[in-house]
Amino acid sequence: MEERSIKLNVNDKIYEVEVKPYHTLLHIIRNELGLKGTKYGCGTGECGACTVLVDGKAVHSCLMLAGQAEGKKITTIEGIGTYDEPHPLQQAFVEAGAVQCGFCTPGMILSAKALLDRNPNPTTEEIKRAIDGNLCRCTGYVKIIEAIKATAKQMRRK
Amino acid sequence: MSFGLKAYLRPTSINEATSLLAKYGKKAMPLAGGTDILVDKPSDVEFLVDITGLPLNYIKKRKEGVKIGALSTFSSVETSDLLGNGSYSILVDAARKMGSTAIRNVATVGGNICNAVPSAQFPPALIALDAKVKIVGPTGDRIIPLEGFFKGIRKRDLETGEILAEIQVPRLPPSTGTAFFSIGRSCVDISTVIVAVRVTTRKNSTCQKVKIVIGGGIGPTCFASKAGKLLQDEIIQDHLIEKVARTVVAELKPRSTSIRGSPVFKKEVAGVLVKRAIRHALMKARGAC
Repeated sequence: MEERSIKLNVNDKIYEVEVKPYHTLLHIIRNELGLKGTKYGCGTGECGACTVLVDGKAVHSCLMLAGQAEGKKITTIEGIGTYDEPHPLQQAFVEAGAVQCGFCTPGMILSAKALLDRNPNPTTEEIKRAIDGNLCRCTGYVKIIEAIKATAKQMRRK
Repeated sequence: MSFGLKAYLRPTSINEATSLLAKYGKKAMPLAGGTDILVDKPSDVEFLVDITGLPLNYIKKRKEGVKIGALSTFSSVETSDLLGNGSYSILVDAARKMGSTAIRNVATVGGNICNAVPSAQFPPALIALDAKVKIVGPTGDRIIPLEGFFKGIRKRDLETGEILAEIQVPRLPPSTGTAFFSIGRSCVDISTVIVAVRVTTRKNSTCQKVKIVIGGGIGPTCFASKAGKLLQDEIIQDHLIEKVARTVVAELKPRSTSIRGSPVFKKEVAGVLVKRAIRHALMKARGAC
């Protein structure tokens, strides 16, 4: 089986990794790069726990081969904020109580970021549509939507 | 992952892609958005030929109609100003109902067609508009009606080495209205029943052309041809629409093996959606919405 070396731009850092043809972007992010914020949920593009941004767009990393991501800009949850300096969305999720078990949170936040980056003043419907690929089994979504709205408001003020 | 993959190949030209597919034959498969292949993981595929680097991601308006590159994603169709107005908006409606945002960001129009499954969202809408597909391959190009492209479930009119390159949607006459309705378990779920309708009326309000296409049923698509004939050259009125719906229910023969709904359910739902779609398309044809 052919293994080849590819370069991936993840969170503005270039990684050179050896990939097998069937390796998904999710597999490489978690197991080769050690970025465990991106979660493995269903593996079939249903749950959205593995959501990352590819060239600014929300994508299920379980349904993208690592090779397909070569030459593109990948953003994972680790790339948008830190514990000490969280992204406004991360802060708002904490403040609104939009995080319970937390498994969906990285994907949810990245889907929300993709939305707010192109639409700083989304309607509730637009928010629901932006996170329609992210399942949350804890919150009932209400707090998540509130957190995204609060972030949009805060970011518009800036 | 249980893929039997030996290599992932990334051609940069259409010629290179078709040559690779021809060289590896049945062991090779083109990869576009990948949202079906990476779920199905076909065990007999050894070579994935990633065609996403080919220049087939475009939506263009031409004198004769609209050309959609096979690698256009559903997000790009959904947000296309070119398709957003008039009768082409049926394509935007169909794209909006396709999976989730993250799926629409990568899933391609060509992939949805070539997968050739009964639940595919886009083919019914395209067939309602008399779309054709351009196929390129080692022996040259050919253009065929999309409705002739499907040869059964997961079977399509593609020879070894050929790829679907472009969808061509003809210019539609004035007083044409279209409608797309589908139903699934949830808004992001794969559709159980899909109905796409196109109606063109004459100045005297009679029906010049009608096309009723049902998805999610017996194969990749099927026509309610008997039902459609009931409206031809008639002024479409409620009692006729009711008759059409009853005929659709009688005409449809959904697969009993479908996992998304029983034949009885699908027939009943198709009848209801056909009525809604004809009324909606007719209003649009008359310029009422």
